[in-house]
Amino acid sequence: MEVHSVEDLAKQLGADWPFILRGRENSRIEFDRIKEACKALVMPDTSLVVFGSLARGEFTDGSDIDWTLLVDGITIPQHLTVARQISEALAKLESKPPGRTGTFGNMASSHSLIHCIGGEDDTNTNTTRRSLLLLEARPVGDDQAFNRVRNNILKRYLEEDLGLWRSSAVQKVPHFLLNDFARYWRTMAVDFADKQHDRFHEGFALRNIKLRLSRKLLYISGLLACFRCQLDFPNDQERIAFFNRVNSVEVASYLRNLLDKTPLDLTAETLTLYTDKVKAVGELFGAYEDFLGVLSDKSGRKHLEALTPDQLETDAAYANARAISHRFLEAVQSIFLNSDNRIGELTIRYGVF
Amino acid sequence: MRFLGYSTGAIALGDFSRALTLLGAYDFQAIELSALRLAEVEPLLCALRNLDLDRYKYISFHAPSAFREDEEEHLVGLLSTLPDAWPIVLHPDAICRASRWTSLAPRLAIENMDRRKNTGRSVSELEQVFELLPEAKMCFDLGHARQVDPSMIGAYQLFKAYAGRIVQLHVSEVDTLNRHDVISRAAEMAFSQIRQFVPKSAAVILEGRVLERDIGREAEKVRFLLDGIAQSEEAVEGGR
Repeated sequence: MEVHSVEDLAKQLGADWPFILRGRENSRIEFDRIKEACKALVMPDTSLVVFGSLARGEFTDGSDIDWTLLVDGITIPQHLTVARQISEALAKLESKPPGRTGTFGNMASSHSLIHCIGGEDDTNTNTTRRSLLLLEARPVGDDQAFNRVRNNILKRYLEEDLGLWRSSAVQKVPHFLLNDFARYWRTMAVDFADKQHDRFHEGFALRNIKLRLSRKLLYISGLLACFRCQLDFPNDQERIAFFNRVNSVEVASYLRNLLDKTPLDLTAETLTLYTDKVKAVGELFGAYEDFLGVLSDKSGRKHLEALTPDQLETDAAYANARAISHRFLEAVQSIFLNSDNRIGELTIRYGVF
Repeated sequence: MRFLGYSTGAIALGDFSRALTLLGAYDFQAIELSALRLAEVEPLLCALRNLDLDRYKYISFHAPSAFREDEEEHLVGLLSTLPDAWPIVLHPDAICRASRWTSLAPRLAIENMDRRKNTGRSVSELEQVFELLPEAKMCFDLGHARQVDPSMIGAYQLFKAYAGRIVQLHVSEVDTLNRHDVISRAAEMAFSQIRQFVPKSAAVILEGRVLERDIGREAEKVRFLLDGIAQSEEAVEGGR
């Protein structure tokens, strides 16, 4: 049986992952509600884009709605009005608003997303928006602006990666893209500490668990998308022929198709294709299922959100969540930091140094 | 070498006679007779028998880009009088009821649309049209595809999905006001990235508004862009 999604993987392993399935169904329902509420609002040359658990297909009752009005065209003052109207429409749905960093819940222009990759102008917000556009974003309604911006970002990463197109380079892993995914993963980890500093540990426990699981999975899916460039072409000559500069648009389209999958689906498909570590793969997804179970438990989630630092050592719910994250980590390490499989080899070679 | 030529609308908008006279000075093998407004259809059809079209190996007819629903059946009737071998280029957003076009479907070349339209721009949007008219062919508008997605990934995906349907290409620069113009350097670079996916059998029709003196030069630019083969100077300047 071919595995293209986490549902396929569950069938293959004979596993029961109800929270993963429920997350998908919740996402479909919430997505349709937002689409209906905002259908009259989005203007030409813009796309309403959602991020986070909704885009990943992992939506729970406690999830917030991270969104942005992506503008790709002539900028006009009415864009702000529309962004406010979207915010009001979502409030009427009684959806939980985005976090307080200001990264979401407003407008974003394509210019900085495409042109400012690295360097001083690539702010934390810009890095976050750009990385998430590639790794976990979904357009609501008209997807033209979304596709345009995403494609152009991807083309920058690929076309400016000189090593990728060199015929003498047998290994084809897009370093520019991979390095930025790695940078974003480390940025999330550092920002976790910054939020802890700014917010006096408020919400620490929940953020910590998310960092250990959903944020880590995001990085994993980014790594795997990059590794697929190498793994999907086992024949050296065919790989070198495909990664030829005259073929750059086809290469970008190929990578885009991979990134169109949710992190869970891309991970399920890739791990099934390129490792025979059935037990570790089952453990990884089993731990993730339990993590979504924790997030789906309203009172448990509230409890974690309210924990103070001095309660962390003794709290049973937090200890349980940490245990889940440790299972996830062990499964990840068994696959990714082990040279007995091709994904492990590539991670050791490219994912750390 | 693929057939290449102009749309009469690009040479002289609404004046096919003048366009054909001007194009008669060149060796183009293809032509698109343009009737973008409904009122232009009948005069063009009436004039067909007197037009010197024998020199062209590929002829297509561009149907009006807009018409009312109560005009659709009459238009289909008019277009059905065209020679069977001529593809009929049709904008998908102009279609009111697809079933009216079924009899013409094998001759239709559905065109991918520019970004101001809310249909016919991408693979998924065109799929809806081809589901209704499965026998229809496609006119691939490179300028529209680039305007919708300058990365050309969207264009590549259209080629990949519909290569077997493509009978004709429209080639031009499409600006932010959706006007068809001569090809810029940026468009040249974008088009050259996907030229290997253009079916060799597809005729190339230039749609950019071009000055009379630039007719040959623009055509040569496009031929070189798509094939990497230059014609002789004589052909460029009009050797007939």
